Amino acid sequence: MEPKRKKISSIRSTPAGEVFIWLNAMGLAVGLIMISGILLLVVYQGIISFWPKDVLELHVEPSSVGSLPNSRVVSGEIAKKQNKKVRRTPSQGDDPDIEWQLFVGNKDVFGFSFVYVDYNSITKVAKPADIIVLERQEYGRAIGYAIALNKGNVRVVEAGAREFDQTLNDKLRQTEERRREINRIERVEIGRVNAAMESIRLKLKRAASDGKLDLSEESGDIQILRETSAELTVEYGVLEQRARELRAQQDEFQLRYRLSSGEERDISVGEIIDYTYPNRLGPLQKIGLLFQRSYRFAVEYPREANTEGGIYPAIFGTFVMTLIMSLIVTPFGVMAAIYLSEYAKNGLFVRLVRIAVNNLAGVPSIVFGVFGLGFFVYFVGGNIDQIFFSDRLPTPTFGTGGVLWASLTLALLTVPVVVVATEEGLAAVSRGMREAGLACGASKWQCIQRIVLPAAAPGILTGIILAVARGAGEVAPLMLVGVVKSAPTLPINATFPYLHFEQKFMHLGFHIYDLGFQSPDSEAAKPVVFATTFLLIMLVIGLNLIAIYLREKLRGKLEATH
Amino acid sequence: MPIQQKNISVKLDARFSVSTTVKVIDYVMERFIKIGGIGVIAAVSGIFVFIFLEILPLFQWPEVKEIGVVSMPQREYLEMGVDQWGKKPFFLDTESNFHFLTLDTGQITTIPAQLPDSVRVTAYDYSQEGGTLVCGFDDGRFCLFNVEYSERFIDGVRELEPSIKRSEIYRIGRTGHPIESITYADSGDQKIIAVVQDTGARATVSLVRLMQEQTLLGSGAVTIDEEYDLTNQFEGTPVLLLAGTQADALLIATDEGRISYFNIDDEDCELMQVFQPFADLADPAINTLDYLFGGVSIVITAATGENRVFSLFIPANGTSRLFGHTKSFPNFTEPVTNYSPSLRNKAFLLSSDRTLSLRFATNSSIRWEAQLDYNIRDTVISSKYDRLMVLSDDSNLHVYNLHDPHPTSGISAFFSRQWFEGSPFPKFEWQSTGASDDYEPKLSMIPLIIGTLKGTFYAMLFATPLALSAALYTSQFLDRRIRTIVKPTMETMASLPSVVLGFLGALWLAPLIETRLVFIFLLIVLLPVGAILTGYCWSRLPMKIQRGVPAGNEFLVMLGIFVIGFVACWYLAPTVERRFFSVVDPVNGQVVSDFREWWRLTTNTPFEQRNSLIVGFVMGFAVIPIVFSIAEESLSNVPTALSSGALALGASRWQTAVRIVIPTASAGIFSALMMGLGRAVGETMIVLMVTGNTPVLDFNMFTGMRTLSANIAVELPEAPHGGTLYRTLFLGALILFIFTFFINTLAVTLREHLRSRFKTV
Repeated sequence: MEPKRKKISSIRSTPAGEVFIWLNAMGLAVGLIMISGILLLVVYQGIISFWPKDVLELHVEPSSVGSLPNSRVVSGEIAKKQNKKVRRTPSQGDDPDIEWQLFVGNKDVFGFSFVYVDYNSITKVAKPADIIVLERQEYGRAIGYAIALNKGNVRVVEAGAREFDQTLNDKLRQTEERRREINRIERVEIGRVNAAMESIRLKLKRAASDGKLDLSEESGDIQILRETSAELTVEYGVLEQRARELRAQQDEFQLRYRLSSGEERDISVGEIIDYTYPNRLGPLQKIGLLFQRSYRFAVEYPREANTEGGIYPAIFGTFVMTLIMSLIVTPFGVMAAIYLSEYAKNGLFVRLVRIAVNNLAGVPSIVFGVFGLGFFVYFVGGNIDQIFFSDRLPTPTFGTGGVLWASLTLALLTVPVVVVATEEGLAAVSRGMREAGLACGASKWQCIQRIVLPAAAPGILTGIILAVARGAGEVAPLMLVGVVKSAPTLPINATFPYLHFEQKFMHLGFHIYDLGFQSPDSEAAKPVVFATTFLLIMLVIGLNLIAIYLREKLRGKLEATH
Repeated sequence: MPIQQKNISVKLDARFSVSTTVKVIDYVMERFIKIGGIGVIAAVSGIFVFIFLEILPLFQWPEVKEIGVVSMPQREYLEMGVDQWGKKPFFLDTESNFHFLTLDTGQITTIPAQLPDSVRVTAYDYSQEGGTLVCGFDDGRFCLFNVEYSERFIDGVRELEPSIKRSEIYRIGRTGHPIESITYADSGDQKIIAVVQDTGARATVSLVRLMQEQTLLGSGAVTIDEEYDLTNQFEGTPVLLLAGTQADALLIATDEGRISYFNIDDEDCELMQVFQPFADLADPAINTLDYLFGGVSIVITAATGENRVFSLFIPANGTSRLFGHTKSFPNFTEPVTNYSPSLRNKAFLLSSDRTLSLRFATNSSIRWEAQLDYNIRDTVISSKYDRLMVLSDDSNLHVYNLHDPHPTSGISAFFSRQWFEGSPFPKFEWQSTGASDDYEPKLSMIPLIIGTLKGTFYAMLFATPLALSAALYTSQFLDRRIRTIVKPTMETMASLPSVVLGFLGALWLAPLIETRLVFIFLLIVLLPVGAILTGYCWSRLPMKIQRGVPAGNEFLVMLGIFVIGFVACWYLAPTVERRFFSVVDPVNGQVVSDFREWWRLTTNTPFEQRNSLIVGFVMGFAVIPIVFSIAEESLSNVPTALSSGALALGASRWQTAVRIVIPTASAGIFSALMMGLGRAVGETMIVLMVTGNTPVLDFNMFTGMRTLSANIAVELPEAPHGGTLYRTLFLGALILFIFTFFINTLAVTLREHLRSRFKTV
């Protein structure tokens, strides 16, 4: 036995082509690293855009900061450390000059928010605990040292005093309440009055054109309309007056603060949304702040041309659009799938149709957008305007992009997804179950309704989830059929008739495109874009993972029944 | 008993018969689902039909329909013009009366020109663009008439009130000699007038420049600024004069068919060029000569009916703009007697005695041509390009409706080279809108199609090897347990919204890669080499160590190798760049080691930050998961009996994979590539964000592109509904649709075929 074993081990046991297997392994490794890399990047960037960073105070050599030549002290958050952009020559050493990109805020003072600081010119780096960062309504954040809270010329409380934070918090709470009230008045109340006045204007216009209403001065109809209009004008005045008073109260108190350059400035407390002492925060407080900021990002309206504030309208717009889309696509997709797998005779026609449906999934989304614009917006919408809203022309009502047309376009785009997934689900229902149902005397529809559909539910659900994920992530067609960078009102709101199908809307994906590429200050917008990207990716991938899980379960069942 | 039995049987019947409600519901649902199902499928094909219908008008020829004839008093009319709404044409007769005809009512208003009795009009020139008529007299003097229409709204209906404004009478050239030919142009502050005068001997040509002060209160007095005698600056007998529409040029055509082109500026009148448009013909004489709308091209006809267009452009090795032959039209059978340009586009109307021909310069096409049953005296195209008016010899005005919304389009406009005005040679170009009204839309699909193919090519170049090797490894060699994690992970990648990929690619990756190109190239070369080397060395290691990594787990080692390779390339890159990509900057003589500079200076092609390399890379993210999942599926579906057989016969796992599995699944792999290709062709957001969206015709790796899809996204929101651009963008969508439909059908059919083949195995 001994010699025999030796003989085997002496054979060089390298099967042919092992090397190429390793090459293929590299392909997979690169693919996996790419996907995990991109996910990690988005997660990391998304989280740090909410993370409260320390504010450093840099003492630099005179006139070394190009954009702030007079400052010897600059304070801000480090945005980036990078190699200086100089031409590389062969003689140069491997260590290029490093510069720091510093977020200095105070855009109202400087006119910009970022400066580059040459690392070599920094003489001292400090982390003063007293530095305060003010989140403001306008001009982004302010960075400086608080001096005192004033009421006009009267000093209320010094910054050093123990009750300073307490007082400031109280004032902030009050201004926050007033801001909400102002918002409510302006968005809801005045919006309602405006809508009522617009409808009166349209009534009068329509009356003038079709002559149904008696237009003479003494006529009762006109009198009523006039009176209502006058009442509305009074109401409008009252509301506006109330808003103006509230606004005036907002400016009652001022916070005096000092920039690191020494300049002192005042800011109305009404302008401040929030404040932090970033260098005093412990890790737990930072995490708390992270969650608080993420929450506010999700529920607030955008400010400063979308570069600050939250993205609530975009989230809401995406939600409404996908909701309407799935309400349309589900019945039609499921119906088409039932027809294909239960009713249609298996022949050339069904094969062709199946190929066509499969194929449609591969048609570029922009083509659907083109179709949506030409057919829904201009053709259908234009005709609806002619018939029902002719008094508003030439201002289009439905004859322009809107949430309904966007939903319909995306419904068309996602039909194949639902059809394919539902068909797969229907195929997983075993023949035995159907036959049992039929044998018990169920009619064909009863059999489908009571046995087949419930059993295929996971498949249908998978289809809907995939469709929703696709709809949430798709941007190109939406750009043609109704998405906008900033919508004044939401597609569902408190103004009659509550659902505004014709309204343009905001969308998470388009928000990314618009902020990243059309924004005047794309550097300042980066945190918002990354945070939006993070949210969108989480949403889409979460939905997809659920769909994949459901599908795997379904496949398991399919294998078990066959 | 019988009664009881009957009862039972009745009960049985009731129990076994289906209730009507169920039957009705069943019937209704069946119909409903059938209608719904077929409806969905019909809707899907409706997309194709709708888009097709939208582009059809692009290829339609104009419709010209006679809508009326108005009889004018029998007179000899010299000239005719029309207001910008096409409602009130006017006619100038030989007795210098202006007759204004209201088309709706047939009413004629006559306004006399009020010329002194002593003069007789011997030459005239009317330019519809400015509404100015210039008349030359038999005593060597001239005057200008402005035909003006003031509009009033009476009950919402536009009423036009015509009026004639006559300038004072100026003298020009040799006093006392009759003016034979006259031309006039006005650029606002400068006006030029040129005349041919019969002096008994050789006819003379004189040019005057009029200046008009533009004050805050309006136009001031017109004064003669300068006078030139051009008679001795050219050879031959002058027959035709043409002043450049911007009052900056004068063309003089002689009886031998030679045209002298003078450039006129503030100081001087300089002869630029002499050319003979019909030098190749037996009779080179010029019959008509006039500008096209825009004043860059001239339309010339020969006595024999030849019709050519000459345009101003800077020739390949010249410095100033000269006329060159750009277009030829099919022959006119008879000599052309009348020419009328359109004031909206590059269309023009030619007529001989009885033939009327509407032609379009940009694509050298005859839009419409007809034989009329009357003799033509004069023609005009309305300003909105919606009416043709033809005055017959017997003083009847024939009015035609012209419906030609898309004259610039056509197969040749979209797919072949076009010689645009100002360009020295014909080319493919996409530039749909320009700054001025007289802009020629350039609507070639070719740069967009090339851009699409370019983006797709780079994406597939990057995605194919990665996706296929990953798919092969996953399906054939990977540990089964890891596979259940790897597959959904790769599929998740398919769901990444393209807007996210585009954003990361453009704002994060592009600036990052720009300075590290050498690193990227090193990585592309060294990673496969490293993998092969590792594999080679590994197989040389003792079995004991080899067993440490069970088969199917190699890729875990590869993750480590990737990291090592990455770090190695990172540190190697600057050295390599200095060693191989240093170049001397010609501006300051400094040696620069920057790949971008090296590329620019050694290849003489541009380098852009947002280039095809980035597009390929980012689009790869979108394509890889599609190719991977379909290829993986078809590779794993190869019946195990086949591969087991091969393994049992002693083939190694690689041999089995390459010789048995891949050939069997080849149709599936091909179909996977097709699906990936379809995705890359139609991808919009990534290209829109990652490239500069400039239409290009090259395959340079370091320039961007504009694809069909990005073009739609950029231009469609701004395109007016129903216009030529709007429909052309629909044509782009249709091309995309057909292209992807073709690719996908091929892929789906192949997959079906593969599936049925496996069933038989």
